[in-house]
Amino acid sequence: MIGELTKSERQGALLILLALAVTGLAMAVGGSNDPLGTHGTLVMVVAIVGTFAVITGYYAPEPPESRLDSYYDTPTKFGIVAAMVWAVIAMAVGDWVAWLLAFPEWTFDAAWASFGRLRPVHTSGVIFGFGGNALIATSFYVMQRTSRARLPDQLSPWFVLFGYNLFCVIAATGYLMGVTQSKEYAEPEWYADIWLVIVWVTYFVLYLRTLNRRKEPHIYVSNWYYMAFILVVAMLHIVNNLAVPISWGSAKSYSLFAGVQDAMTEWWYGHNAVAFFLTSGFLGMMYYYMPKRAGRPIYSYRMSIISFWGITFFYMWAGSHHLHYTALPQWVQSLGMTFSVMLLVPSWVSAGNALMTLNGAWHKVRDDAVLRFMMVAAVFYGLSTFEGSFMAIRPVNALSHYTDWTVGHVHAGALGWVAMITFGAIYASVPWLWKRDGMYSAKLVEAHFWLSLAGTIIYVFAMWNSGIIQGLMWRTYNESGTLAYSFVDSLIAMHPYYIARAIGGVFFLLGAIIGFYNIWMTIRTASQAQSQAEPDYSAVGIEIPAVQPGR
Amino acid sequence: MTITHDLLVWFSKSFGLFYLIGLSLIVLAYAYWPANQKPFEHAANAILDDDDKPYRG
Amino acid sequence: MFGFHYRLERKTIGMVLGIIGVASIGGIVEIAPLFTIHQTVEAAPDMRVYTPLELAGRNIYIREGCYACHSQMIRTLRDEVERYGPYSLAVESKYDHPMLWGSKRTGPDLARLGEKYSDDWHVAHMINPRDVVPESVMPAYAFLARTELRTDDLGKHLKAQRAVGVPYTDAMIANAPADAYGQASPDSPAAEGVVERYGKATMVRAFDGKPNDLTEMDALVAYLQILGRLTDAAHKPVASAEKQP
Ligand code: HEM
Ligand code: HEM
Repeated sequence: MIGELTKSERQGALLILLALAVTGLAMAVGGSNDPLGTHGTLVMVVAIVGTFAVITGYYAPEPPESRLDSYYDTPTKFGIVAAMVWAVIAMAVGDWVAWLLAFPEWTFDAAWASFGRLRPVHTSGVIFGFGGNALIATSFYVMQRTSRARLPDQLSPWFVLFGYNLFCVIAATGYLMGVTQSKEYAEPEWYADIWLVIVWVTYFVLYLRTLNRRKEPHIYVSNWYYMAFILVVAMLHIVNNLAVPISWGSAKSYSLFAGVQDAMTEWWYGHNAVAFFLTSGFLGMMYYYMPKRAGRPIYSYRMSIISFWGITFFYMWAGSHHLHYTALPQWVQSLGMTFSVMLLVPSWVSAGNALMTLNGAWHKVRDDAVLRFMMVAAVFYGLSTFEGSFMAIRPVNALSHYTDWTVGHVHAGALGWVAMITFGAIYASVPWLWKRDGMYSAKLVEAHFWLSLAGTIIYVFAMWNSGIIQGLMWRTYNESGTLAYSFVDSLIAMHPYYIARAIGGVFFLLGAIIGFYNIWMTIRTASQAQSQAEPDYSAVGIEIPAVQPGR
Repeated sequence: MTITHDLLVWFSKSFGLFYLIGLSLIVLAYAYWPANQKPFEHAANAILDDDDKPYRG
Repeated sequence: MFGFHYRLERKTIGMVLGIIGVASIGGIVEIAPLFTIHQTVEAAPDMRVYTPLELAGRNIYIREGCYACHSQMIRTLRDEVERYGPYSLAVESKYDHPMLWGSKRTGPDLARLGEKYSDDWHVAHMINPRDVVPESVMPAYAFLARTELRTDDLGKHLKAQRAVGVPYTDAMIANAPADAYGQASPDSPAAEGVVERYGKATMVRAFDGKPNDLTEMDALVAYLQILGRLTDAAHKPVASAEKQP
């Protein structure tokens, strides 16, 4: 990998790592009796290891000029593997916390093992670790292909990926130590937030530089979605994380906002994290990989543009549907509800556009589990956006809010849409990237698909049931006009559903582990194939789409 | 001093509506502008091409 | 290397500005009026700030992720009011940096928890929830009773709180560690200072049952006992008549 950097890039890498090591040292010293110090040490160790790696490869020959004749895909490869590692870890934690809700004794009297600390490891791990790495990796792939331009340099993509994963590690280890801002999906503390801003700006600039080198005058629509993801996440992140640290030597900070303003800012952020992290970026992914895999152009390019602006516009107003019937002024709640309902239009246009693209390629969907992953993702996207718009209606939200219904909605979107489209895109790109005819085992892809689908369905149905039962029990009155059930009654009613959900989670997790194994074996056989004169591709039983870039 | 708050709320509500209509018109015009059809068509089909090399020149 | 020396061409910039414009206007138009909300929100002249011990407890609540399972926001719905108490007012969380309204009730709402149970009940419940509520799925937090509370940096905490708008006085900041100790040691000389600075209604008790050592359990229970009791505004009839949806 160092061999792919030019001399000046190697020097640049050393400078960055040096700066990072110094920062880490400062944090370690300044926060010596605080979790900040632990993180400082972590940063320093990472920087030193990195420095050694660069020094070891420092005198390797420079990459030949001919590199400019191909796309720069090593970062994408790294990002895909990182996404899968995070997927397995974070989903395992998710399933663990699911079991904890059924069997709360399993915390070993240890602070780090309690539900409240592990839960954000799950949410950040899946959203940022798994989802984020997948988005960055595929965006590098897509922006180069659609611009017909190589990444402008070899260093900044690595800075983005390593920097981003460092952020994820600091976040996850921080939660275990109790470092959190408590803002949902924005839990990392101020120093991690600042670091993410640096990484993110580099990412943005890298994207612009690549686009600026493109051959086509028109920018392909996937890039719009990725761009919106990058830009809006930056905006949300900066505003929502404004805070005052108690000192430079402490991890703790206090949010600049309080009460109602803080709630609105947080859910403006939270909802648009859903919109621009979990939706926009993945739509960008879908608009490239789905047509590519199906061998057909998007059904309506025009609609993809209209729904892009619709999504960018409507989502921004919808955040207040997280605060129905609260102390937030009612006009803001109504505004949020109205826009959430209107949001259904661009959402369904996107889902419909995706499914219509497959029209005429249904035989491929039947035979190719990878394409089927993408198809099911589009269906779940349609489903969860419908559900979301429905839940945003005030009287419906009166029932669903605070219950497991929300969790069911989240995972219909997260498992059914986000994870499935990602697995589809990853399975599509791994053979392209590592120059293989197909995945190591098509059967295992098939197994992964069915495990994912079964897991998602079990999970979502369990949570719909438990959520609605919970909501109804909380508001049921008996004849004498008093509440019929105590809170504990509703808790007991949840128990079977919590077990069912955890079992669904096992299915989904098993699928991800199988997927990881399959990808790993594809990579390994690829490197063997390179050393063998006559690679044996006979094991590949699946029909490969006609289009195979990179071969 | 409730005036400023009410004023802001009023502005938000009315402006939001005009903004919605205006923006929709712009986006629709862009998407349906006849001259844009060719690049759209081209872009939609170009990604299916397999010329897997960066363009240099 | 990260230099931006490429000609910025019009299309890309157009797209970037378009996205920023469309995305930011919605947020600004919707959120900005909220920053003038104090003009319309209920007044609560009796509202006091958290004592250092309560603030430390609140930070433990945040650290342990209690907000992931407990809300602190009673909605304006009949069943919620009957189950938990008067619905939450905006003014009640005006000193909450950050707010802890929550979004999930794996456990019950806590907005009006203060003084609902005894200190002993809370301590037993935190040490093992199933000792007092056999069906509970809440994790045990026995380690809180074993862990000494860190107080040396409480002054800095109060200072940062003041920087974001909470009216802590210089005396409060200067005496923060002593006040934290005093609030949980009723017989110590430090106890008087707490009442003097934070008001007569302040609870000064050995929250964890052990007056001599100051543990994280003291802080957490002190916080739980103040929930919903920083002001009486929500219990006043005017407030509830005004805000019925
Ligand atoms: C093996 C699969 C998974 C299992 C077993 C699982 C389990 C869980 C559990 C038990 C919770 C806590 C719910 C509660 O507090 O009551 C949760 C929350 C959450 N999970 Fe998952 N999860 C899985 C996969 C995913 C994936 C792939 C994503 C995202 C891409 C995701 C995103 C979330 C989010 C956003 C929340 C917070 C929900 C909220 O605050 O309402 N999960 N998950
Ligand atoms: C039209 C699109 C959508 C709308 C209108 C919508 C609406 C909603 C509503 C009303 C809630 C419940 C808020 C509450 O009662 O607390 C919610 C929660 C949530 N939704 Fe959606 N949703 C949409 C699409 C999606 C998608 C595609 C995902 C992808 C994963 C998603 C992820 C989430 C998450 C993570 C939460 C939980 C937030 C929390 O409380 O922690 N939503 N959404």
